Amino acid sequence: MELQTILIFLVTFIACSEFLLGTSLIQRPIVLGTLIGLIFGQLETGIIMGATLELAFIGAVSVGAYIPPDMISGTILGTALAIQAGTGPETALALGLPISTVMLALNSILSSPTMLIFTHMMDKDIENGDIKKFKWHYFFGGYASFLPRLIIIPCAFYFGSNAVVSLLSQIPEWLQTGITISGGVIPALGFAMLAQMIMDKKIAPFFFIGFFAIKYLELSTTAVAIFALAYVVIMFFKEKEKNENATIVSQEGVEFDEF
Amino acid sequence: MSFNVEYNGVIKKKDLQKVFLNAITMEHTWNYERMMNDGYLYSMLPALKKIYPNQDDFIEACKRHLEFFNTTPHVITLPLGVSVAMEEQRASNMDSFDTTSISNVKTAIMGPLAGIGDSFFWGTLRILATGVGTSLALQGNILGPILFLLIFNVPAYILRYILVFVGYKFGTSFIIEAEQSGVMNIINKAASILGLSVAGAMTAEMVYFSIPLTFGTGDSATSIQSIIDGIVPGLLPLLLTGLVYWLLKKKVKPLTIMFIMMIVCVIGAYFGVLA
Repeated sequence: MELQTILIFLVTFIACSEFLLGTSLIQRPIVLGTLIGLIFGQLETGIIMGATLELAFIGAVSVGAYIPPDMISGTILGTALAIQAGTGPETALALGLPISTVMLALNSILSSPTMLIFTHMMDKDIENGDIKKFKWHYFFGGYASFLPRLIIIPCAFYFGSNAVVSLLSQIPEWLQTGITISGGVIPALGFAMLAQMIMDKKIAPFFFIGFFAIKYLELSTTAVAIFALAYVVIMFFKEKEKNENATIVSQEGVEFDEF
Repeated sequence: MSFNVEYNGVIKKKDLQKVFLNAITMEHTWNYERMMNDGYLYSMLPALKKIYPNQDDFIEACKRHLEFFNTTPHVITLPLGVSVAMEEQRASNMDSFDTTSISNVKTAIMGPLAGIGDSFFWGTLRILATGVGTSLALQGNILGPILFLLIFNVPAYILRYILVFVGYKFGTSFIIEAEQSGVMNIINKAASILGLSVAGAMTAEMVYFSIPLTFGTGDSATSIQSIIDGIVPGLLPLLLTGLVYWLLKKKVKPLTIMFIMMIVCVIGAYFGVLA
């Protein structure tokens, strides 16, 4: 238990380093679920749970004003507790969603103001011409804003896991079935959010082509991605050529007028 | 790289590489007030230090880059390259160079760059990585998370590296030309088509539920589900996704929709009308 708590702290730390490491998506559920699986010696279960959460959170990217639920706490605690209780990926989802919502609220109270304090400290460092201090505040400030999560997540696991595990064993069967079903339903939200981000009337049919390529032709998602990529490359060069011709024609038109 | 960048000033290839390395950390100190400002300055530091040996000039330049900045982090090196080139010009022409132009150019680039960058990295490349990654990971295959990270990060890091040189060499002309010639629009359209096709495929593969009700008795019993599948396979998940899309358009919050979904599923399971 102590060892697992320390390892959970380490995974949280890795998740909090995503932005230091180039916004590289290492805090996505599919990655964190895998790491948690590794800690508990159930790699395969962790990967499956991570993928299930990944689908539920697929719309969760901070584009524009939308701030997504906290995937880090949701994935780490949801997966760790579900594995400990010996239940399926649906339990990870059922635990992860409320946790990530509560944590989102905590983050906006604790994390964002912390970062602002450091931003102003860095302003002062530059004012004083102290680059060394600036660099130190830069490195530490980024982690300081994650401090609430670095503390709360391992503690919640250490103190809460027994209670959650015994609670999970008392859930009635219909509730479990309901949660299992929601595991297949919630991704629809993610895909709808995604579609909303990129949808444009002219290209809407491609969503349906992708959908029915799976249903009727029984292709895999990877196959659809490969065909779509090939099509897009062909389209790119065709449209570029068309574009260049159009510019040439309009330029000729201008020259003609001059004569 | 085959850009044949000419290094006529104090900035050499190695310095641009340092800018690239520092720029990896861009969002580490992202904040609500000026967003990427600290990351921008941190990335500029190696170049600024070399350009301005005089401490006062150096600090003055540093302050210039502490202002608001925000764009897609994976393409941040393009404006950084431009800024390095402009700071170099300014240092060789201290009296007549208007420093506000450095800020103006940054402001002019970040909007269009974020537009194409967000839709490409978040809407297309991430979806591609998630599509391939989760379909393997759902079977417990370790290649799932590994491919997920590789598909996203290999192009992201390569682009980040190349763009610092592109920005330094071409300055602002690169992005203006790309926009005017319409290439930017075509890339955007291509990226959207790719993202949307994969989103459709993933909806088909990963959204599933059924209605286990039957009517008739004994051998002649027909399930409602088999009738629906007979009309169009996957009709229910498709309709559900359409419904959620419509709700989102009506400004219903994603979190609200998520909890309604869970409640409906549990009620449906209790009465046995959903499976």
